[in-house]
Amino acid sequence: MLSLENIINGIHTWLNNTFDPTLALTCEFVLLGITAIAIFAVLGLVLVLMERKVAAIMQIRKGPNRVGPFGMFQTVADTLKLIMKEGLTPDGADKVLFNLAPFIVMIAAMLLLAPIPFAKGVQMWDINIGVLFISAVSSISVIGILMAGWASNNKYSLLGAMRSGAQIVSYELSAGLSVITIVILTGSLQLSEIVNAQQNGWWIFKGHIPVLISFVTFIIAVTAETNRAPFDLAEAESELTAGFHTEYSGMKFALFFLAEYINIFIACAIGATLFLGGWMPFHIGNWEGFNAIMDYIPSSIWFVGKTFFLIFLMMWFRWTFPRLRVDQLLNLEWKYLLPISMLNLLVVTVMAIMGWYF
Amino acid sequence: MNTSDILFYCISAFILGTGVLAVTTGKIFRSAISLLFSLMGIAALYFWMALEFIAAVQIVIYVGGIVVLIIFSIFLTQKSGEEMPKPPLSKIWFSFFSVLVGFIFTYYLIHQYGFGNGGEQPFELKIADIGNQMLSLTGKGYILPFEVISILLLAALIGAIVVAMKIKNKSE
Amino acid sequence: MFITNYIKEIFNGVKSLLTGMRITGYYFVHPKEIITEQYPDNRATLKMANRFRGEVVMIHNENNEHACTGCSACELACPNGTIKIINKFDINAEGKKKKAIDTFVYHLELCTMCNLCVIACPTDTIKMDQTFEHSVFDRSQLTKVLNRPGSKIKAGVE
Repeated sequence: MLSLENIINGIHTWLNNTFDPTLALTCEFVLLGITAIAIFAVLGLVLVLMERKVAAIMQIRKGPNRVGPFGMFQTVADTLKLIMKEGLTPDGADKVLFNLAPFIVMIAAMLLLAPIPFAKGVQMWDINIGVLFISAVSSISVIGILMAGWASNNKYSLLGAMRSGAQIVSYELSAGLSVITIVILTGSLQLSEIVNAQQNGWWIFKGHIPVLISFVTFIIAVTAETNRAPFDLAEAESELTAGFHTEYSGMKFALFFLAEYINIFIACAIGATLFLGGWMPFHIGNWEGFNAIMDYIPSSIWFVGKTFFLIFLMMWFRWTFPRLRVDQLLNLEWKYLLPISMLNLLVVTVMAIMGWYF
Repeated sequence: MNTSDILFYCISAFILGTGVLAVTTGKIFRSAISLLFSLMGIAALYFWMALEFIAAVQIVIYVGGIVVLIIFSIFLTQKSGEEMPKPPLSKIWFSFFSVLVGFIFTYYLIHQYGFGNGGEQPFELKIADIGNQMLSLTGKGYILPFEVISILLLAALIGAIVVAMKIKNKSE
Repeated sequence: MFITNYIKEIFNGVKSLLTGMRITGYYFVHPKEIITEQYPDNRATLKMANRFRGEVVMIHNENNEHACTGCSACELACPNGTIKIINKFDINAEGKKKKAIDTFVYHLELCTMCNLCVIACPTDTIKMDQTFEHSVFDRSQLTKVLNRPGSKIKAGVE
């Protein structure tokens, strides 16, 4: 059967048979880099269009519908426009840091792509500390945002960057705590093992109420960490024009914009991997026939489907809820999410020890 | 010299270069960013040694925690964007002297003891082993420091919650 | 109790969030609700809302007659000098001089569509029309004369 795993293994063996190992490894690195960039470009185009369409339909509008059928090439046109635009650097800006910041944000997003299992056997780097690696690297992007805000020499940018920093630092706590519940249940930080542990059922079903609670806190926390509405205080356009990327234009702005969507994708992919079983198909107990049909669907489709379901959920949040005030934002984290997730962690630990899950 | 050695020297040069930039630049924010890159280079060195756990912890604590706090405090100070005045000559001499002493001391230690040979076998590190070692009572276990740090962190978290949950006085 | 209040607060919060999400979710799965008018495409069938005001026009009947007596009530009512009435004196059948309208000058570029002139008109001769495609290359083209050439006042209107 033709699957992604077989194709990748085929390329790997062919390269190793044709060239010597070092050259083959270099070739694989180059191929991986190209794949990562291609994934980025395609994801950026698809997600921006999806966001605009979802937003439009939820607001009883039509959305982009002029460029191509159903406006499918709208984002391509937008990208072309952004490439043509001049990338301005303001006079009073710290030029080096100003130009460096978008790349930091982008590189952090790219690094996060490495440990995600996209399909059965398709994983760039099956690192043994997967979950920890993700929470470590995702904290680099906040540096890029702070850098952009400071280097722009603009008060809006600085305020936006500071808000974003405070927000990300505080919401990382509850995101981490809700991820730890799954780590406790699985007993491993490795993402491939977490997926394999969900062979006989996804954690959200196996772990019932406590895992459901941690799933909800995880979704809220990553929505805040990716600076999306209703937590988009960092770029609150009605207060701070565009927050930390006010001064950016052209391709440098596009990098920030792209990184935002890539971060959403990664956050949702991690959510899908931890709670919804990654590429594991949906199985119900002993229904052999049903399970066989589910197995027939390729694992990559399962992964992409779950991830896009979570992305849709985040878009649904964005176009339903109004933006929070700064004090409300911090109240939500410190008064509600953190105590709940700490208590939940305790409950999950007891559950894992007593074996009260399916 | 193989690829691995070349990588090592590249990472080391990066660490040293950004470290020198951190102390010589005139702008405080740039200095913090250089420090950040230097710390990330150290994390890269851990990755090079295939010690992923320590590398990730290095990034979480230093890059995600400490440097962000430093940058925050820089944001909150005035005149953070201005060039700092040149230090007086005596200060330059003094720092040069202390750097020299530190360098000689380190060099002396390395010269005397040398680097231990880690052996040819690649170093396998399981996360479960780290966890067991942290919680073991015997065989150089780290249960006491681990628990002390846990209690400290828990106290900090609960303290933060208590501060946040403080019920406002109705009369105010 | 503090704890029961806390739990109740969480419960109510989640419930109100879900209420909001239900409404947007309803619109998402019912694309028929879309109210977007794709304007240049549906020009032929475009129906404006009743209260929409596009410009002031003068009502003429099939005999090219209007009801304007030239009383200038609309000119006085206009808050920003959009309307200028120029009168002349007709000589009627009995040889008497009678005030009548010569030109009803309407500056569309100044008009705010406030509808005050229509309310002020004692003979209901002007009304708000729903046309809105007013773009021209020269602003002088926006100065219009509302009474048609050769039109005269309807018989019996004083």
